[in-house]
Amino acid sequence: MKRAQLARERLDGHPWTPYLFAAPVGIYLLLFQFYPLIQQFYMSFTATDLLTPTVNPFVGMENYSFLIEDGELWKVLSVTAIYTVACVVFAIGVGLGSALLLDSPFIGRSLARALITIPWAAPSVAVALIFTWIFNSQYGIFNRALTELGLQLGGENWLDNASLALPAILLTTVWQIFPFSSVVILAALQGVPQELKEAAVIDGADRLNIFKTATWPTIQPTVLMLTLFVTIWSLRRFDLIWLMTQGGPIGATNTMVIELYRQGFVYRDLGTAASIGMIGLSIALLVTVIYFKVTQMTEQAQGKR
Amino acid sequence: MRTSRQLEHMRVLAVLLMLGFAAFPIYWMFVTSMTPSSELFASSPRLLPAWSQLSIYAEIFNTIPVATWLKNSFLVAAGTTVLSILLAVFPAYALSRFRFAGLAVLGFALFATQMLPEAMLVVPLYSIFGDLNLLNTIPGLVLANTAFVVPVITWIIKGAIDSIPFEIEEAARVDGCSRLDIVLGIVIPLVAPTLAAAAVISFFHGWNEYVFAQTLVSSENLRTASVGLASFVGELSTPIHSVMAVGVIYTLPAIIFYLFAQRYVVAGMTAGSVKG
Repeated sequence: MKRAQLARERLDGHPWTPYLFAAPVGIYLLLFQFYPLIQQFYMSFTATDLLTPTVNPFVGMENYSFLIEDGELWKVLSVTAIYTVACVVFAIGVGLGSALLLDSPFIGRSLARALITIPWAAPSVAVALIFTWIFNSQYGIFNRALTELGLQLGGENWLDNASLALPAILLTTVWQIFPFSSVVILAALQGVPQELKEAAVIDGADRLNIFKTATWPTIQPTVLMLTLFVTIWSLRRFDLIWLMTQGGPIGATNTMVIELYRQGFVYRDLGTAASIGMIGLSIALLVTVIYFKVTQMTEQAQGKR
Repeated sequence: MRTSRQLEHMRVLAVLLMLGFAAFPIYWMFVTSMTPSSELFASSPRLLPAWSQLSIYAEIFNTIPVATWLKNSFLVAAGTTVLSILLAVFPAYALSRFRFAGLAVLGFALFATQMLPEAMLVVPLYSIFGDLNLLNTIPGLVLANTAFVVPVITWIIKGAIDSIPFEIEEAARVDGCSRLDIVLGIVIPLVAPTLAAAAVISFFHGWNEYVFAQTLVSSENLRTASVGLASFVGELSTPIHSVMAVGVIYTLPAIIFYLFAQRYVVAGMTAGSVKG
């Protein structure tokens, strides 16, 4: 089939067609993504001031060794790791829960399915603004509700407290992105074979077992793919965190991208900013490689079964 | 029997909680915008909007350049949509239908862009745009946003093209149609719903974008709504209900538009992604 198709492409007489089709986007991405990326790569080996970006003396590995010796990087890495893992767990967990709910029949289901996507449609800047107000220590509805419920936590200054700022940012992030996982998992749930479910019911399986034997194997590749995307997006999320806490207090929400921006635009050190970017990019690449290995392994395992 | 009814009640409760969680912050932004200053800091919060405050929405257009901000956001979003769709259709077709050297490279390159934070590319883009005289222009923002949107929608459109049977194209080829004719005359009409989804996604990206709008544009009259709204963060002279009103004006059109379009978006996105 593939060979026949290949032959047809030759018969078509235009071996250049695929390249012509791909060229505009290729040139575009080369110019606006990969050329800047290479510049950043070079920049990471220089000492460059934001105010004189064209003057960039080469300093070798100095930026990297500074980052490694300076304790701050490890804190940034651990904040990033906690934030990313928590985003994956909660956004996909809540997404899965809501998708299962929306998959079962009830009156008004299509309306519910539409309404649940509201957070996803809201612009990040507006989300940051409203959640900053919701988390306001004195007048925010969040603390008022907590106090009303008689909880000790009421009255806390969520975004100014080093141990509460990250949970607050996480709640905001999960609110904004869980609809995406929900919608994608819901679509995957439509592919669960009905016979498999029915067979499990006949075997006397309870809900959990039905989920394990029929539902999970079908949606597992989708959940894996979501894990990859939520991870990568969390590694690069900027607007929400920057506008709500600027990475503070005392670095409690200082993820890699925030630190990158701070180094570049607050401390004017473009070299160090670029090297943080390169480290972040390597992590994202590593995650991607692991994802493809895991998908390959599960596909092989399923093939053997 | 009774337990299944209880289960039903629990399910309804869970759905309502979930919808409440999803909708509350937006509702709260609206309520805050419709709360008189005197009540904002009262000991018990107002939970329903004060409709007498509706005039705030006329007021802010006089006191804050909201109209300009929205216009700029619209131009950026519309430009990003048009350019992204134009750029994405042909590579999507190539990824779906051709086997060529460089296919894997193109596929990976498109995916890799998802890993690049905007904040990282701001500095080099600033100097490139400076050379091209695109700093401080709407087209500059369109170009910057498109670079991040095109990869996403190319994959989505590719997924839709994958599901078109080869036979349809073969028949056209026998009739002597060129590849260009096939893409324009057959493929595009067939993937129209996905193109609509891609357009919505592009539009949202442009409408919501903040980092580039903040850094690549400096003049006041080219400010987008995201930058305008962000300028209120940490600023105390503008009353909070005015700020929230601007937030509502910026957010609500996006949500309403999205609620109408979401059927297409969901169908279009999942057409490609489910198959993996």
